Amino acid sequence: MNFRLLTLTTLTAAGIAGSAFAADTVKLGYQLPLTGDTAQYGQDFRKAAEIALTEFNAAGKPFKVEIVFEDSRSDAKEGTNIARKFVDDKEIVGVLGDFTSGVSMAAAQVYKDAGMPQLSQTASHPDYTKISKYQFRNIATQAQEGPYNAKWMATKGFKNVAVIAEQTDWGQSVVSGFSDAVKANGGTVAFSEFFNRGLKDYRSLISKIERAKPDAIYTGFFYEDGAQFLKQLQQLGIKTPVYSTSAAYSPKLIELAGGAAEGVHLTSNFLPTDPSPNVQHFVDEWKKRSDGAVPGQFPAQAYDAVRIMLAAVEKASPNPTREKVRDALAQTKDFPGVTGKTSFSADREAEKELVKVEVKGGAFVPVAD
Amino acid sequence: MFDPYYLQQLAIGLSLGMTYALMAIGFTLIFGVLNVVNFAHGEIYTLGAFAGLVLISATAPPIVAVILGALAIGALAGFSLERIAFKPFRRFTDEASLKSRAMRESTLLSSLAVSIVVREALEIVFGSQMRSVPFEYLINTPVRVGPVILVTGDFIIFGVAAAMLIGLQYLLTRTRVGLAIRAVSNNPLGAKYVGIDTDRTIITTFVVGSMMGAAAGILMGLYYGAVFPAMGFTPGIKAFVAMVMGGLSSIPGAVICALILGISESMATTFVSSGWSDMVAYGFLILTLIFFPNGLFGARRERV
Repeated sequence: MNFRLLTLTTLTAAGIAGSAFAADTVKLGYQLPLTGDTAQYGQDFRKAAEIALTEFNAAGKPFKVEIVFEDSRSDAKEGTNIARKFVDDKEIVGVLGDFTSGVSMAAAQVYKDAGMPQLSQTASHPDYTKISKYQFRNIATQAQEGPYNAKWMATKGFKNVAVIAEQTDWGQSVVSGFSDAVKANGGTVAFSEFFNRGLKDYRSLISKIERAKPDAIYTGFFYEDGAQFLKQLQQLGIKTPVYSTSAAYSPKLIELAGGAAEGVHLTSNFLPTDPSPNVQHFVDEWKKRSDGAVPGQFPAQAYDAVRIMLAAVEKASPNPTREKVRDALAQTKDFPGVTGKTSFSADREAEKELVKVEVKGGAFVPVAD
Repeated sequence: MFDPYYLQQLAIGLSLGMTYALMAIGFTLIFGVLNVVNFAHGEIYTLGAFAGLVLISATAPPIVAVILGALAIGALAGFSLERIAFKPFRRFTDEASLKSRAMRESTLLSSLAVSIVVREALEIVFGSQMRSVPFEYLINTPVRVGPVILVTGDFIIFGVAAAMLIGLQYLLTRTRVGLAIRAVSNNPLGAKYVGIDTDRTIITTFVVGSMMGAAAGILMGLYYGAVFPAMGFTPGIKAFVAMVMGGLSSIPGAVICALILGISESMATTFVSSGWSDMVAYGFLILTLIFFPNGLFGARRERV
């Protein structure tokens, strides 16, 4: 028995019972990994969602919103089961999540048939939003980030590059989005390979990359894999510059890799150091709930995704339905979030502004080029 | 001239194999030699790593104290594991129960249950994200040996694994405790009849094997610099494969097979995509089961 899930559902049930007598309540579903290998991400998303929800419910709106959290364990089968559960609950008008592209896409098939709007904070596989008009995302896709990074590396003079990524739907979109753009810019991809998520020893792979003698390495990984990769790169005494996607943008990357993270270049759409009041407000709230730790990009995206969904629910009220929430989501324009202004394009892609960042002196520092 | 690239890959493979061997030794002692189905060894490994990490962040002791702390936790964990997941199945002492395979194999589920509870509990207490080990404790300073680059941890792990292997071989073949372990493994009922305290023998084996598991955990934590609740899973699988390939009951066999596994994985990375390198381990497992049902170094026991 999953103890945490039990507590969670009990709490949610208690919440429902408690608020049934209060003002009108609108229910949202949030599917995310709360246990298993990717639980750290799901836990962060829940924390971010709770910040957004508390703020919304404290703002004296004519109705209250509740979010039902369900643990998908980043397992596609589990994700589809949750999707069916959410769809069967007539009170749920919109769904957030899942974390990975794979699980989000599996669940999307259910939401597509039921006409349930789904907004993922992180699913960045190009095919996700193509599933139906109900799929939205609040993240730059690799089709957007790959060419951006390819151009960045080309202006730095790296013509011959290596690319590696984790063996997932997302990793494949990293490699294809980037490699196509490199070739279009007249560069060459000297080496391209996938590795299994959670690999501990990258030294074999690194030796193999170095044999191809690339000018720079472009990487599609998350911070855990990234930290191991960077540390082992340093152990082997390799100085080839490393570029990465916004997925690796997390303070944990620097914490785990230490000095080995110096000089890594990556893109991001969230900077906790941004002085604008809403970013600082989110960072402060986050620190309060996380022993002073600074949020990375993913929690920020989750926070924005929840707020975008809440705004859509508000727009669709009174009596929001799944269809009305979907339409309201589709109309989202210049939503002022902590990850910049977000608008959904006609094909439900978030148009994000990317920032170039370099690790310098143990911190992520925005750079001009 | 021989391409230094292959030498480097060979060195990486040996070091990888050594890390598998470190885990496989304690695992084989309990699972193979004592012949008790135990799937909680990976969590003992994780507990050892967390015990070390907690000690480091609490009092910043010298590295030897960290390892001793992990060993103590490992011994305690091994004792508790045996008490919770194994002892209840030995409460029937009649001949039928003692000979029953079902009785023996039911610990597959009870040990798996303990491992799930421990992992989830660690997740609740520590969170599931990777925790970093302070840099001054890490054992991964690069060392250049001719054309090959290794790290200090490779030598430490080699030393510890060798010491464990030799120590255990001595224990099993030259001492009365070892004799008792082998007797209990061979025939629990017979061992009881000739006056061996089977309970104590089993507990001793668990304590020793789990101390080795915990030591492996903290060493790997210091080696890779990351400690997290799910860290025991992959090494557990690799150790299992090494043990089965080595013929279940042979500790030197498991160590040799762990090295073969490591070298094959790193060499395979040269020819196929790194994403496929895990296939090597599972491929070996299947091939062993089909063509060498007694393992490569086993032969004396029933089929794997």
